Amino acid sequence: MGKISKKNLFQKKDLIGWAIMLPSIILFAFFVWEPILESVNLSLHTAKGFRIEEFVGFDNYKQLFQYPVFLQALKNTFVYIFWSLILGFFTPMILAIIITETVHLKSIFKIGIYLPNIVPGLATVIMWKYMFGEGRTGVINILLSQLGIEPQVWLNNTMLTIPLIVLILTWKGAGATTLIYMASISNIDPALYEAATIDGAGIIKRVKHIIFPSLMPLAKTMLILQIISVFQILYEPLVLKQGGPNNASISMMMLVWNYANREFNYPMASATSVVICVILIILSAIYFKLTKSKED
Amino acid sequence: MFFDKYGKKEDGAIRFYDLHSMKTKILAVTIFIMCILIMIVTLFPVVWSFLASFRTIKDFNNNPAIIPEKFNFKLFASTWKELKFSRNYMNSLIVVIGSVISAIIFNGILAYSLSIIKPKGHKVVLGLVMWSLLIPPMTSMVALFVNINKLHLTQSYIPLWLMLGANAFYVILFKQFFENLPKELIEAAKLDGAGYMQTFIKIIVPLSKSIVMVIVIFSINAAWSDFLMPYLVLNGSGKETVMVRLFSFQGSNATAVEVLRAVVFSIIPPILLFFIFSKQITEGAATGALKG
Repeated sequence: MGKISKKNLFQKKDLIGWAIMLPSIILFAFFVWEPILESVNLSLHTAKGFRIEEFVGFDNYKQLFQYPVFLQALKNTFVYIFWSLILGFFTPMILAIIITETVHLKSIFKIGIYLPNIVPGLATVIMWKYMFGEGRTGVINILLSQLGIEPQVWLNNTMLTIPLIVLILTWKGAGATTLIYMASISNIDPALYEAATIDGAGIIKRVKHIIFPSLMPLAKTMLILQIISVFQILYEPLVLKQGGPNNASISMMMLVWNYANREFNYPMASATSVVICVILIILSAIYFKLTKSKED
Repeated sequence: MFFDKYGKKEDGAIRFYDLHSMKTKILAVTIFIMCILIMIVTLFPVVWSFLASFRTIKDFNNNPAIIPEKFNFKLFASTWKELKFSRNYMNSLIVVIGSVISAIIFNGILAYSLSIIKPKGHKVVLGLVMWSLLIPPMTSMVALFVNINKLHLTQSYIPLWLMLGANAFYVILFKQFFENLPKELIEAAKLDGAGYMQTFIKIIVPLSKSIVMVIVIFSINAAWSDFLMPYLVLNGSGKETVMVRLFSFQGSNATAVEVLRAVVFSIIPPILLFFIFSKQITEGAATGALKG
């Protein structure tokens, strides 16, 4: 074993392969991979504007963990996750089962359910801001007044801010997951339903014992992807209430935004990013373990 | 008749033979009504935004109602002019075109190498790409912005164009598509003495129209809708995209109806795109994620 055999092992094919994908790898390195390392680097320094000044070890993290707003954002993240499990996890499953069971206008329903997905995130949030407007001109208040219900303050109610934001996220995102579940339901062998019918299973039993179990492996994946998406929540608290009322809806990404765009404190913004990444890496490891056990 | 079509029902728990019972018939009708209600909830905010945009602010504040009394298109024209929205539309168009081109080329070529050529060590790259699917680039946006600043690329379209060339989701979509192409064709090209680049251009590209279409549609929408990076890179440069403009506009002292009109302007292009390509989009959304 020497230089020669090593050279032979690395053939022309490998060289061309790497050469072809080099530009793409450079882009991935610049836009995706290096920024993660740069975040770590920045978070260990102080900086003036964009210029790194001195190495301070974990001081930024110490400061971050003592910052009440960070603790609030961390707490809110779990509240966001809680509500997105309650509202966001089951909604697409129920929608998929309902739409599958109709034969009329099915393709229109499929298109309609996906429409919110293509509405730009920022436009979505602004639209919903008026939906949940306070006072008489808020759209939902207008609708409620038809039923004789008094106008509500909606987003200004600290108990409601996060659930309402999750409701908006669900409105926007549920359609995509619904289509995935519907495709999965379509793949179920009809003979299964027939066998179940012969065994005396009614429609509800068939949904419970055939459709639900078939969705479970996918649902596991969707669950973790949904939790990951909670860490990206930014537009909603930013546009709706600037993270308020009283930081009741501030998210981790919003904290990054505040550090970067209000205080121009890039090291602290990076430290927050790194904390998010560490949490996401842990969650992703769990995700890989789950999907692996699915394949076995 | 309403129930006749159930004879051809292919999927789902309700089978055609269930329709003999009255109970199932009622259930089928209930489900249909529920679907209609779901559609109303899904479409209402968008439809309402369009309707409210036709009203003056006085009307909007004093007369809470859903449907406007008259449809005044002049209001749209005046807000459009006042905002000089044409320029933002142009800027967005430039960002979208560049982003789409780089999304196709760079992600496509990376996927080609990872799925067909498979050079030694490609698994490392694949692993890194998969991980970036799980750690969204948005989280390290600040560090990226600092890097872009170091290279003096702020106030330029270049970083926005190239950014979509590094999208893990598109790479995976391309890779799955290439892996399902008939191997014989690629082998035959090899025997004919075609190089890897030649095989790609002459064999793979012509076969890949459908996946390219899906990525084009997805990346148009992604580039048009993106706000965070365009805001960091372009804000204050005169090159603001529609989304950046929308953000600063909704934070200004503009009236509710003016903001809603800007919202309408910003969602018309994606909605048009969606209605033209609804089939490709809904199918792409379902299959792509299923296998990914």
